[in-house]
Amino acid sequence: MTQDLKLLVPLHVSYIQNLGKSQDELAYHLTAHLRMNAIYWGLTALYIMGHKDALDREEMIGFVMSCWDEEAGGFGAHPDHDAHILSTLSAIQILIMQDALDRLDVDRVVKFILSLQQPSGVFAGDSFGEVDTRFLYCAVNALSLLGRLFELDVERTVSYICECKNYDGGFGATAGAESHAAQVFVCVAALAILDRLDVVDQQTLCWWLSERQLPNGGLNGRPQKLEDVCYSFWVLSALSILNKMTWIDSEKLVSFILSAQDPESGGIADRPGDMADVFHTQFGVAGLSLLGYPGLVDLDPVYCMPASIIEARGLRKGWKSLPRKSI
Amino acid sequence: MANLQNQSALYAERPEWEDVVPLPQYESVKPLAPIFYTPEYKDATDYFRGIVKTGEKSLRVLDLTENIIRQNPAHYSAWQYRYKTLMALGVPLEEELRLMDELAVKYLKTYQVWHHRRLLVQQTRNPAPELAFIAGCLQEDAKNYHTWSYRQWLLAHFNDEALWANELDFVDGMLDVDVRNNSAWHHRFFVVFQSGVRKGEEDRNEVLRRELTYVKMQISVVPNNMSAWNYLRGILDHSKTPYSTLESFVAPYCEAEPTRPDDSSKDVVDLEDPFPSLDAHLPCAAAIEFMADIHESLGGDDNLEVAIELWSSLASTHDAFRKKYWEYRIREAQSRAH
Repeated sequence: MTQDLKLLVPLHVSYIQNLGKSQDELAYHLTAHLRMNAIYWGLTALYIMGHKDALDREEMIGFVMSCWDEEAGGFGAHPDHDAHILSTLSAIQILIMQDALDRLDVDRVVKFILSLQQPSGVFAGDSFGEVDTRFLYCAVNALSLLGRLFELDVERTVSYICECKNYDGGFGATAGAESHAAQVFVCVAALAILDRLDVVDQQTLCWWLSERQLPNGGLNGRPQKLEDVCYSFWVLSALSILNKMTWIDSEKLVSFILSAQDPESGGIADRPGDMADVFHTQFGVAGLSLLGYPGLVDLDPVYCMPASIIEARGLRKGWKSLPRKSI
Repeated sequence: MANLQNQSALYAERPEWEDVVPLPQYESVKPLAPIFYTPEYKDATDYFRGIVKTGEKSLRVLDLTENIIRQNPAHYSAWQYRYKTLMALGVPLEEELRLMDELAVKYLKTYQVWHHRRLLVQQTRNPAPELAFIAGCLQEDAKNYHTWSYRQWLLAHFNDEALWANELDFVDGMLDVDVRNNSAWHHRFFVVFQSGVRKGEEDRNEVLRRELTYVKMQISVVPNNMSAWNYLRGILDHSKTPYSTLESFVAPYCEAEPTRPDDSSKDVVDLEDPFPSLDAHLPCAAAIEFMADIHESLGGDDNLEVAIELWSSLASTHDAFRKKYWEYRIREAQSRAH
């Protein structure tokens, strides 16, 4: 049954286009803090599906710039939200994908990002002070995209990642925290950008990553937890960066992702039968691209952006995805 | 209307808020992703923007931010401003923590709830009650990532003997409830091996022996538990103990029907080499993998042959899912041998 499933591209494109017109008030206003991220997820998914112009470019750039926090020198998730590193990275990625980086005050943004580094080497998300290796990755990714990586204290940054390495070869959100696939992705991708993959115990980690696959083909984020489509990206991208994508069963994973689509309204959910959202749509599509699904555009797993854009900026690292199948 | 309804009235309708100028959501551009508000949320956030503009830090701001947080626990600006207000007012933070106890249970998966708590506890410098609170949260959601990492932060930050004192018992308790709880296994490693040496644990050989006994017992009860095998490998790697020292323990787990020990010793559990429990699913793929690693580490052609045979059985039968990985192990080992 699942072998007949295909990626319903036109349906997902209109799903993303319709996000801005959502009638579901409650869910929509509660996710204002994710708005910038949501636009990045939507745009990247469209790009990978070959429909990068499906959303209005000027409107999008206008929205991004309306989130500029003049006081902090970064981007918030929504107009008049305080600047945060998560939304700042998404804003930069959107502007690059829309070829509008000239709208950015690069010096100020770099200053904002660097100001968030803590003595231990980790980054805070904003002045509130929450720290997490996710923010470290956002900083490294953003500085690299802006061509300002040379301003980063690399030693301190890498030493914090080392502090987060666990006995199972994985990485956690902070020093002492449990290994988790999403944190593994951010640490491995940051190390890839910094050319320090030597820190990784590759065999142990890649085995741990391949062990995320469950009999139903889906991937989980930690041992004994449930499968979720977004791990198709977190786990897969780390395996791709470490050149071990063959260590999971790709056919079964493709089937799993496809079976989580909403065949009526479009979009992809965390698992079959659940409600779709733009986050899982993006990471499902991203996973499929890395798995060589036919008709999709190549994705760079390190930056989670279209590979051609990263290559054009001279930032491509030595990752390997599965060869693209022909239609 | 009686004041009983006052708590749920819009701020725009409350006379005590008359002096504040509410500021609507900034929308100078036609929003690509427009927000649709419920009247209550719009009202509360309009007034929030109003008091942020004037920099007010008062008790009613605490009410307002609590209201917003209850409607949207991810509104991080509300959390930040609430914290600043608490600091400015100098209110007793223990009270704030009790409020947070209620919210944390409701919003277990929200980063802000936990970060706010960290900030408060750094101020009160009273971490002890937090352990019971965290244990309570874990009753609701035994693998919550934020909850466990908050516990790890608390222990490491205060690094107090009294705080650490019952931690091993706590982990034992969590693993009694669910021996497959990976977070609990991780926490055990953190407590025993990653946070310095505490009173009573100075004999590291004794500690290692204790932990080996513990993990072997847990494996014997439920062999197909990847977290336990990862823990075993972790402690062997950490102490640089050769895997081969575990050979007699691992051997029975590699067979479908291992020969059980002599009946006369049925009541005595062999702590060195606890046998697989009667209802265990055998052979255990993790054990076969471990045995292959043992043979690979011992070196020589005969051992390599055994390792390859074990990896092949995993590729073809016991863990066919990860066929490519097992084939990689075979190739790697062969190329290193020549």
